[in-house]
Amino acid sequence: MQAIVDCNSFYCSCERLFQPQLKNAPVVVLSNNDGCIVSRSDEAKQLGISMAVPYFQAKELIEKNKVHAFSSNYHLYGDLSWRVMETMRQLVPPGCVEVYSVDEAFLDLDHVPLNELHSYCTKIKKQIETWTGISVSIGVGPNKVLSKVANRLAKKNKLLTGCVVILHDTKTTQAALQKTPIEDVWGIGYSYSEKLKTYGIHNAYQLSIKDLSWGKRFLGGVVGMRLIRELKGMKSHSMQAPRTEKKMIATTRMFGREVTQWQEIEEALATYATRASEKLRRQHSAAYGVAVFLLKKAPVNLDATYYHRGRQVSGYVKLDNPTHLTPDIIKAVVALGKSLFEQGDIYKKAGVILSDFVPDSALQTNLFVPPADQKRKKLMNVIDNMNAAYRDDILKFGTSGTHKNWKMRSERRSKRYTTRWDELCGVR
Amino acid sequence: MDILEEHHATYTGAKKFESSQIIQANATGFGAASDDFMDRGIDLNEQLIRNKPATFFFRVNSDAMLGAGIHVGDILIVDRSIQASSGKVVVAVLNGELLVRRLQIQEHSISLLPENKRYGAIQIEQMGEYSTWGVVTFVIHSV
Repeated sequence: MQAIVDCNSFYCSCERLFQPQLKNAPVVVLSNNDGCIVSRSDEAKQLGISMAVPYFQAKELIEKNKVHAFSSNYHLYGDLSWRVMETMRQLVPPGCVEVYSVDEAFLDLDHVPLNELHSYCTKIKKQIETWTGISVSIGVGPNKVLSKVANRLAKKNKLLTGCVVILHDTKTTQAALQKTPIEDVWGIGYSYSEKLKTYGIHNAYQLSIKDLSWGKRFLGGVVGMRLIRELKGMKSHSMQAPRTEKKMIATTRMFGREVTQWQEIEEALATYATRASEKLRRQHSAAYGVAVFLLKKAPVNLDATYYHRGRQVSGYVKLDNPTHLTPDIIKAVVALGKSLFEQGDIYKKAGVILSDFVPDSALQTNLFVPPADQKRKKLMNVIDNMNAAYRDDILKFGTSGTHKNWKMRSERRSKRYTTRWDELCGVR
Repeated sequence: MDILEEHHATYTGAKKFESSQIIQANATGFGAASDDFMDRGIDLNEQLIRNKPATFFFRVNSDAMLGAGIHVGDILIVDRSIQASSGKVVVAVLNGELLVRRLQIQEHSISLLPENKRYGAIQIEQMGEYSTWGVVTFVIHSV
């Protein structure tokens, strides 16, 4: 059997851990740049605050009900996420935890006898809560899709289920599928759920009794076939090894305010290029492809019949030699950015995307790479290690600027309680 | 059968250490006589943090526990995986506030005891408003 362990309102739970006075209060956490709501406590959900709505739209509801709104504190969430995952790794045999996202992990529970699954999961849940202070819900089923179905039901009625639901036989599974609206099935997006409804399929059970060939024809080919297979109780998705190597690295951010000057865009692009090339070196890759995009502010739309996202301009360059050196990447990014920039326009977002990777070991044997680059590689290593050790990018390239007026807004961020010595939580 | 206890319920991460991390003199002249006797050096993380995913740090903002050697500005090392029992110094949550006190559990009552005469003992009347955040294992004090 497979389980999915999912932290309950993860970001909100992290905030509450060090602010226990918020235990039963409505709490929301905002995305980067305080743009959208990305996490809601149960109390906030009950007030009718929806997921992913822009902050300004929910502002009235938030202020009226004294909802506590936090900027995202990824230092804190990342650290607590590691603690939750590490606790699980202590409890199950090696290789049985697949970290799926910051707040979810799949567990392989084939070693647990069926009649002991419930007490086993309850113990895992209790130990995560005791050790890390984060409460979780656990869904168990014969495969990943059904474990997700179980998890949704566990979360839906926490008191009744004790946050643990096990689909241990066909009867329970069928009942669970009937209670699952089609749009809540893992892997079915909005457009597919709308399409399925036109075929009279409104819940997961109705989809599970379709033939595999039907799935292949009407639900995106092999992917849809696999989904129906899993809903029928067979296994299509196996546990995955941790994904350490990415095929593409993107660093994109909204600006904290409207930006019109090239110099500020240049600083932002150089900063993103620095961050992206750090990630590139960490996975021992070098990139051929460098791309940049700039997003302009939408013109004021008076009739307001549709939402205008603003015009995006982008450019791509393929380098002659692959590189993972920050100065080279900054140079390429800044040149691209400059060709895209138009004086007089207002910009609200920029991004750097690196692609077409080769292993960086290939660089060392490449006759066309000048030996001087080997020295620069060593210098990059020193810079990376110092920045990691001293935390706040103490060494950086001049282009990335020192003022950073364009930086993200995070006005309501709590302290970095678990990663910064000078931001520890106080106790009286 | 208790499956969880079968698979190490205690934290094992602190034992992760590779022999290559042992420092050697690697002298160029005569082989340093002590190289054969080099140990894994003293590591405060290993000594003070018994269970990394469950260990947190707090900053002390009051002198309520002066008698226990806990001063204003000290750092508390707090382990959430240790069972809070009577007599232990704990970080407690009382009415939403974080307090460091000595926990006293008697047959019909729970109290939070200060170790400073200027503070009074706190009797917990309703369990709903109280919970233990974690158990204090060490104090880091700058002299």
